[in-house]
Amino acid sequence: MERTLPKPKGIVIFGFLLPGILINLFIIVIPLILAIYFSLYKFTGGIMGDFVGLSNYAQLVKDGKFWNSFKNNLVITGLSIVGQLGFAFVLAIVLQSKWVKFREFHRTVIFLPVVLPAVVVGFVWTLMYNKDYGILNKLLSSIGLSSWIQPWLDDPGIVLYSVTAPIIWQFIGLYLIIFMSAIQNISSEIYEVAEIDGATGLRKAIYITLPMLADTIKVALMLCIAGNMKIFDNIFVMTGGGPGDSSTVMAQYAYNVSFGQFRLGYGSAVSIGMIILSLLLVLVIRRLMGGTNR
Amino acid sequence: MKQNTVIPNVFKGLFNIVLLLVSVACVFPILWILYSSLKTHQEFSLSILSLPTSFHFENYVTVFWEAKLYQYFLNSVFLGVVATILTIMIGFVSGYFLARFQFRGRNALYAMFLFGMLIPVYGLLVPVFIEYKYVGFLDNRFSLVLPAVTFALPIVIFLIESFVKSIPLEIEEASYVDGTNIFTSLIKIVYPMCRPIISTCIILSFLNVWNEFPFSLILISSQELKTLPVGLTNFVGQYSVNYPQLMSGINVAVLPVIAVYLAMHKRIIQGMVAGAVKG
Repeated sequence: MERTLPKPKGIVIFGFLLPGILINLFIIVIPLILAIYFSLYKFTGGIMGDFVGLSNYAQLVKDGKFWNSFKNNLVITGLSIVGQLGFAFVLAIVLQSKWVKFREFHRTVIFLPVVLPAVVVGFVWTLMYNKDYGILNKLLSSIGLSSWIQPWLDDPGIVLYSVTAPIIWQFIGLYLIIFMSAIQNISSEIYEVAEIDGATGLRKAIYITLPMLADTIKVALMLCIAGNMKIFDNIFVMTGGGPGDSSTVMAQYAYNVSFGQFRLGYGSAVSIGMIILSLLLVLVIRRLMGGTNR
Repeated sequence: MKQNTVIPNVFKGLFNIVLLLVSVACVFPILWILYSSLKTHQEFSLSILSLPTSFHFENYVTVFWEAKLYQYFLNSVFLGVVATILTIMIGFVSGYFLARFQFRGRNALYAMFLFGMLIPVYGLLVPVFIEYKYVGFLDNRFSLVLPAVTFALPIVIFLIESFVKSIPLEIEEASYVDGTNIFTSLIKIVYPMCRPIISTCIILSFLNVWNEFPFSLILISSQELKTLPVGLTNFVGQYSVNYPQLMSGINVAVLPVIAVYLAMHKRIIQGMVAGAVKG
């Protein structure tokens, strides 16, 4: 039987929880309701216009720029899954090997970028991509690859990849730690038995570590997808979504519509569309993976 | 026999050296802006990668005072302190009640608090802006406090809720038998027991506020109320000719984070990973 403390009156509990509830209402719930309300109106330049029903949404469904921005989110997500999860996974396995010294140092150093402001990460990478003073071009020319030098943030063909690199870079550490702590939880007996059977490093990674980490990988995948649906800060400071719309993501598009063109009604519809798409994507993928066995 | 042990040792050494290089390469962009910020512009133009020959701390003085970064810095500190105090007070009490008592709507409430972690916050930018505009709360010294608290709360509530669940009931029980009321017991008995997790929560919530960008961007328009991340966007535009100074400016936002991180990296990593995996 579970023991509990003498329970205070409902009103007392409610009183203590009230501040948290109010603040959530004010910043999340009411704005969402307002957004739905305003998305049904024509609302430009601070002037509330006519009720237009669902026409903002009809426009949204046909809005090529919105879908292009969603596509950009998806491309970045795809690249991040490969880059962040893939690299972090390999690194986690390598760092788990018996030979590794300074394990704590590696963890600490690689996690550092995770805590930095995303805006700063954007600035730093803008400097790195700089034509004259950036380390990237310097590096390429010093190893004889001057021909690879690109206008990294000005070429619409590659800019999306250029803005993805810092995102991948920043969050590898998060997944590294998640994978490392999951690997530590795998019983060492399993590996010992496998070693007796003659399993080597790579085989152990594929046949033991990978399946044992299935649930952790699912969690990491969801995190990665949810995280990349809401990217904004670093792209905003690196390119502002440009050139043209080539690096515009959903949040940037909502920002442009609402604060660049002051179409707040349509901007609300874009925001609602963005929330629905992100949550749907997460739900669908979770369903596809059959949930985690926790 | 001897060779057998020597070769693997050399190999192990090399393996470790390569790994160290990988780790350092991972943070090299940060190291680069840290040491380059101490060069003169001329020195930097000559060689962008070399270490500074002498330390030019005046770059920091220039950006801090002349470029008025101190204003943004103080605003960020103010916001960080106010929002963190509120977050901890609300988060501690909410986390405690959610952990200790079963009541109607408890699960719904817990879900609502954690929903803040799941929802793409950027979808709330426009709605919150419109709401603030109606209430007349835009561009105020306290405008950013509420969003900052809201988005730091989920992880704080989650961490405190799980921590409280892990401490035994006996001590609190005893205090109730003695007739202590719930408020006193919270402050005198529960809070001291929760200190370790609360310090984690304080750092995480402060970092959260310090790094926050989009809400600061849309809710604040006066120059003298801007926080560091937004202030830096103006600054970068003006100082883009002098790289070392530009980097010094960026470092004003980076150095406090690195200092806090170096001091408490274990707790930060633990707390962030626990929160992330849950969300």
